[in-house]
Amino acid sequence: MPIDCKAKCGNKAALKRPKTGDALCKDCFFAAFEAEIHHTIVSSRLFRRGEKVAVAASGGKDSTVLAHVMKLLNERHDYGLDLVLLSIDEGITGYRDDSLETVKQNRDDYQMPLKILSYEELYGWTMDRIVAQIGRSNNCTFCGVFRRQALDRGAKLLGVDSIATGHNADDIAETVLMNILRGDTARLRRCTNIRTGGGEDSIPRVKPLKYSYEKEIVMYAHYKRLVYFSTECVFAPNAYRGHARAFLKDLEKVRPSVIMDIIYSGEQLRFKDTAKKPVRGICERCGFVSSQQPCKACVLLEGLNRGLPKLGIGKKSKGDRMIAQQNQELALRERANLVKNDF
Amino acid sequence: MCSIGEDDFGDEGATHAMLPGSSATGTVLSAGSCSKCNLASDELYKLNFRAAECQLCFLSYARHKFRAALGAAKALPRSAEVLLLVDGSGASLVLLDMLHFAQTQNTFKRLHCNARVLYIDACGNDSLSSLHKLHERYAPFEFYVIQLNAEPKSLQSLKEYSASIVNATQQELRSLTARQDYGLQQRKRLIGAVAAHLQCSHVFESSISSTLATQLLTSVALGRGGSVALDVALLDDRLQDDIKLLRPLKDLNEQEVQFYVHAQQLQPFTSENELDQSSAASLQNLTSAFVANLQINYASTVSTIFRTGDKIAAKQQTNVDPTTTCTLCHSVLDHQLSDTLLAIEYSRAVSEMGVALQQHDNMEALEQRARQRLTAAQDLCHACRNIQAELTSGNIP
Repeated sequence: MPIDCKAKCGNKAALKRPKTGDALCKDCFFAAFEAEIHHTIVSSRLFRRGEKVAVAASGGKDSTVLAHVMKLLNERHDYGLDLVLLSIDEGITGYRDDSLETVKQNRDDYQMPLKILSYEELYGWTMDRIVAQIGRSNNCTFCGVFRRQALDRGAKLLGVDSIATGHNADDIAETVLMNILRGDTARLRRCTNIRTGGGEDSIPRVKPLKYSYEKEIVMYAHYKRLVYFSTECVFAPNAYRGHARAFLKDLEKVRPSVIMDIIYSGEQLRFKDTAKKPVRGICERCGFVSSQQPCKACVLLEGLNRGLPKLGIGKKSKGDRMIAQQNQELALRERANLVKNDF
Repeated sequence: MCSIGEDDFGDEGATHAMLPGSSATGTVLSAGSCSKCNLASDELYKLNFRAAECQLCFLSYARHKFRAALGAAKALPRSAEVLLLVDGSGASLVLLDMLHFAQTQNTFKRLHCNARVLYIDACGNDSLSSLHKLHERYAPFEFYVIQLNAEPKSLQSLKEYSASIVNATQQELRSLTARQDYGLQQRKRLIGAVAAHLQCSHVFESSISSTLATQLLTSVALGRGGSVALDVALLDDRLQDDIKLLRPLKDLNEQEVQFYVHAQQLQPFTSENELDQSSAASLQNLTSAFVANLQINYASTVSTIFRTGDKIAAKQQTNVDPTTTCTLCHSVLDHQLSDTLLAIEYSRAVSEMGVALQQHDNMEALEQRARQRLTAAQDLCHACRNIQAELTSGNIP
């Protein structure tokens, strides 16, 4: 028997909200979903009037819903924000080229300017070429490290005040579990923050969907008929996150509130003074935010350009040895050339 | 879509991958000469990351971990009265054996404390014969038995013990997760009460590193992040009357326990799995299955989880005012309103409004309503409120 909508609007319920267990009709669900994000934005003071905000758009469900809702709320509640879409083209044939078409569709639908930055123009390498060099293992390291910096570069180029990313509640709970599994206290401290970065030298990133369940995002996109791209990347997935995700999905089946409970737990954790703290600085080479010298992106890029793609993978000491050995070989070759020229 | 975020990268580069590899479990022994004392031995104990050693060298290594855990933290005052919990698992028998050994050493090395043993009878008395054997083997220790859910004053010594029917009023809780969580809190309360009854200032629990790794993940999943440090620490001071719960085996791993059980010919009478009571789905059972799977396929990840627990600090209780602790689990309450908890209540509030939100969107009034709900049960922590919410009737006593 159909159940009445919990909001007593007179309609029959069309869905059960995973987050609260309430049965709602479509329209009431839309209203509740949007009101929650509005509340998150206002109560966490994510933006200020007149700011220019880049919405990180991959064409996936999260960023599509984020772009849609941001535009809608900006108009409905008069935030006074200047919204732009920012996309990164990693250069993955059969994956990113297709998803960028979705982003272009979003640009037209939402009338928002779009900036696409490619790895090719930023680093001189596409992911396809990187994978050809390094193979299928560790390729995600390159992609992820470059993307993080590419977003910063894009934001700087566009002159925005903050970047809004599509991280949802499931992603954050998953990250809490993942950081426990790998003992990364530095990231465990900050992974539940709704705003990260934003010192004098970096552009802050905010997560307006922090409290939105992935299932509700999918429902919203489905019922609103939003166009999004849902194909998995053609390259390999990540092991830690995969384990954490599968575990979280099992837990969610038993108690859906577990997602918020894990986020809450993550926020409540306090660490001993001896535990490692996150350090944020500026890379001396490229000038972008980094916790080490030089930044990971610069090391990886140097490795690619030197023909030592494994340079930034694994321990720094190992990379230093690789560079020293290559320099030695080069010096030898140069000396040999000199000898030859002497004749 | 790509699911890799910036949190996936560590300082050493590379998206971290879990390294497959299992630590050997079970007793794998061979004959040879001990790499430590060089004496020939019929049985060599080969632990991961350690050279093969003879039985005596292994035992002194394992016992040192127990003594070091207590000694380094100066957690046990001289001549303390200790209540040792035995549940029949291998680890609990190892703890009993180690404590007994520590008491029989010469004056210089002796661990100065007075120990009593408590067994909580949860499922009838089929383990009584094993307990009597233990009583004989570890002669000077007094053994006590109490039934789960019984009154602390019904505690009996093992010699006189006979199981009686306990008419404890079981709380009606909807989900297994809540029942197990509530059961655990009740068990702790019973242990505290028995310790107080026997005038013991310290309680020894036999959790080892893998059980504590499970406990860490379980507590996080239950929303007990604020108190998880004490759930996995050496010293937990949340029992009543300032009684301290100690976990002196926390640095032992499963393989060491198995070797010790073999070396001392101990006979566990309940396995860890049986203690879980049920195989049905609950957050606790899923988590222990998850960790058990890691133990088999990614053993080093389990010790990483455990070490993460070591880095978490307990919240400082500013004073001993009971109004600042949860009435059920005695953890420090978090009186500051959490944005996450507020977001949950706000979700409930907007779900009740639905499309009406578009006509009169009064965010402040809705937030007020959410805050009121959040501050309703002030004397319980968030996780214990979750238990309360699953009660079919009444309140948590």
